Amino acid sequence: MKQAARAPATVEMRSVRKRFGSVDALSDASLRAFPGEIHALLGENGAGKTTLMRVLCGALRPDAGDVRVDGDEPRPGRARDAIRAGIGMVHQHFTLVPSLTVAENVALGTRDGGCARLRLERVRARLAELEGVTGLPVDADAPVAGLSVGAKQRVEIVKALYRDPRVLVLDEPTTVLGPREVEWLFGVLRALAREGRTVVFIGHKLDEILRVADRVTVLRRGRTVLAAGREEVDAPGLARAMIGGPVAERSPPSARPGRGGAAAGARVALLEGVSAHGADTRGPGGGMAVRDVTLEVRRGEVVGIGGVEGNGQRELALVLAGRLRPAAGRARLPAIVSLIPQDRSAGGLVPGFDLAENTALAFHDDDAHRRGPLIDWSAMRRTAREIVAGFDVRAPGWRATAQSLSGGNRQKLLVGRELARSPDLLVAENPMRGLDIAAAAFLRGKLAGLRSRGAGPGREPPGIVLFSTDLDEVLDLADRVFVLVRGRLVAVPERDRTPLGMGRLMLGSDEAAPTADHP
Amino acid sequence: MTGDRDRTRRSGRRRWRPAWWRWWRDARVRSRWTGPLAAGVLALLAAALLAAAGLAVAGYDPVAAGRALVAGAFGSGERFASITLVRATPLILTGLAVALAFRAGVWNIGAEGQLYAGAVAAAWVGLAFPAAPGWLLLPAAMVAAAVAGGLWTLVPVGLKFRAGVGEVITTILMNFVAIHTVAWLVHGPLQEARGVFPQTDPIALAAHLPRLGAGRLHAGFPVAVVLATALWWLLRHSAWGFRVRAVGASPRAAAVSGRMETGRVVLGAFLLSGMLAGLAGGVEVAGVTFALYENLSPGYGYTAIAVALLAGLNPLGVLLAAGFFGVLQAGAAAMQRDVGVPAVWVSAIEALVILAVLAADRFLRRGAVEGSPSPGRTGVPARPESGGPDAPPAPDRA
Repeated sequence: MKQAARAPATVEMRSVRKRFGSVDALSDASLRAFPGEIHALLGENGAGKTTLMRVLCGALRPDAGDVRVDGDEPRPGRARDAIRAGIGMVHQHFTLVPSLTVAENVALGTRDGGCARLRLERVRARLAELEGVTGLPVDADAPVAGLSVGAKQRVEIVKALYRDPRVLVLDEPTTVLGPREVEWLFGVLRALAREGRTVVFIGHKLDEILRVADRVTVLRRGRTVLAAGREEVDAPGLARAMIGGPVAERSPPSARPGRGGAAAGARVALLEGVSAHGADTRGPGGGMAVRDVTLEVRRGEVVGIGGVEGNGQRELALVLAGRLRPAAGRARLPAIVSLIPQDRSAGGLVPGFDLAENTALAFHDDDAHRRGPLIDWSAMRRTAREIVAGFDVRAPGWRATAQSLSGGNRQKLLVGRELARSPDLLVAENPMRGLDIAAAAFLRGKLAGLRSRGAGPGREPPGIVLFSTDLDEVLDLADRVFVLVRGRLVAVPERDRTPLGMGRLMLGSDEAAPTADHP
Repeated sequence: MTGDRDRTRRSGRRRWRPAWWRWWRDARVRSRWTGPLAAGVLALLAAALLAAAGLAVAGYDPVAAGRALVAGAFGSGERFASITLVRATPLILTGLAVALAFRAGVWNIGAEGQLYAGAVAAAWVGLAFPAAPGWLLLPAAMVAAAVAGGLWTLVPVGLKFRAGVGEVITTILMNFVAIHTVAWLVHGPLQEARGVFPQTDPIALAAHLPRLGAGRLHAGFPVAVVLATALWWLLRHSAWGFRVRAVGASPRAAAVSGRMETGRVVLGAFLLSGMLAGLAGGVEVAGVTFALYENLSPGYGYTAIAVALLAGLNPLGVLLAAGFFGVLQAGAAAMQRDVGVPAVWVSAIEALVILAVLAADRFLRRGAVEGSPSPGRTGVPARPESGGPDAPPAPDRA
């Protein structure tokens, strides 16, 4: 894309500053993206990636700095102007109305749905047109609530493309996708870039970024520290730029402590023929989200469960954690189960509670943190402080609420709290999602230490059940590997312990997975 | 001052903010009470200005009206205690009931009905045992009132937990049931022996709340103050209070934490809320009316919602807010008598205060949270989680 770089920049952001309360989310952030390129925006948690993109798409007003699209006069930071300027954004969290259909969701915010009466013919026609670009059929009349997470992500992308944007911004779009869907997405992005559009892509996974990006911008603590073409950078260089120093490499499988060799300890949990209702889909067609699952977990082992999101992970995790009663079968569970749920913002923390109060969610009736019926807030603050220090949670202050933390820091707080419980069983759903390289490496270390040594002196190591859509992560960390396909647990035989092999098993009976082929 | 200090040269486009804006934004981060407190004060000022404007347009002298209102409410120490504080007492108790329920995420709009249920129970106890000694009868009447208020929530509670029916509607409907049941009682089974007025006979003297001082102020007021303080302290420091706050703030996170049964917490808060409102009815009968009759409450249970909102759902704030509404209601009569302003104007002022509180809250909230990552958008359907039937039960522990 060398020649493209010589054309004038589509997006030009210079020295953007943005403050939230007393925290500088962006202090000196710049980004230039050119027509026809896929531009990756990288950075640690809380580095300001999402903030910068929200400034670009007009959701936030910068405190200082220039934002130009196609050399136009700077815009005052209004979403309507950003849309008019041709910027489309796919947010990190879904922005779909669950009770509406795909077509209705797409029609929101456009004038194509008609004025007084809802008329969706035009929307349906355009969706059919977009199918040609994206190569994926979208059922325009399916209610969004019933779609899998991957399918929702596709709808988000289609929704953004619907307005025919010149600049498409995607905030961590691959985190909810399976490996084949990621390939599909990259195919779509390349096709869009070939049409001369600019794609800005926020990501964490360096290998993905190096595979798809033409140019890279790295943010560190609100500053642009690196902007370079694909051919000028490599993975270690990017990692250094992101964290400001060298990172511990992921240890090769053979060097991992205790893998396979460690004798698993006593049984901590046993599911026998467990089925469970869907947490959201109790209505017609809901059926069972988890079907006839039998699973034994022992101390000191990591059970890895891969699968495309929406195949019953959430419900199985809740059952394992004792938070959901199985509809059938038996669940024998230990006394203390830690749960790191899927949606860190809605699932595990109370947005309006401060650090100590969010810590208290797990400890308020714990003997060390109470005096009779009263909560010992000074002990609670001590524990919170240990979590904050141990997990490097960056918060603007002690009274900071969970909602004032960045997504990654929220995740660190949650993980820290759950590990601090000294559980007998740890159930984690995508615990690395949204964590930057340093934090993910740190968490890997914590999990490995927990497995081999336990949570503290005199504590036996817990059993760990790790759900992840990232198959590399499952393969890397787990002693025993399963995939969850439509609520059924399938053991992965030794010979299939590769992303490809697991992908085959995951597709076994999953017609919902993308079928279109892309280079 | 020079206006907004963090305005920079580079961004002439930035919206101008007054000098206090930055202080305000930081103050909100420093203390969580700054927001509600400032919202309350701002709302009162705005409501006072609007009311004054309204009075002026209607041809009254707003200054004279305000003066009459204040004189009517405060006048002398005795007047203040006898009228204003007596008016404030049921507002404190029902305000606490609403605040507690709302804190737990339960939209109990039924304090009025629960108050009437409590009044009926207290009156019945006070009538049925004329020979009982005071040390027994009065506490028995108060307990009966609280229990009756709690029982009055059972229909909404049952419908919420068994059938998922929203408590907003059911508690409102139960208000009508309570009001009309009282009307039937005082026209029928409980009507006074003479059979002239639709009211009960006066309750036994032993069931009266003791008077404080020479005026009409009764022991219900200090009891209400103690209860408010206790509730505040419990919400802040007890494990129970923490569970209530957690379940109210995020039923999902509370359930996922695995350390509380959200359904049980909601149920407890709902019942306790009904008991507080029932106690308000009992205190009104044993301290003020000494008999049960129709329209015993001039809508205390509804004003309580305004009290709780104005208080930011903080029990100590309920004391202040209930005191404020007590002043308004006590002053209304004086305003009518001295300046000729109809007393219903006070209802309009109350409504203005509620609107202003909601508006001020939104307005001030923008300062600190503007544009910060919004936690709400997670793709999770924001359905009201009853916590009832979904409450995660404990499976077998191995």
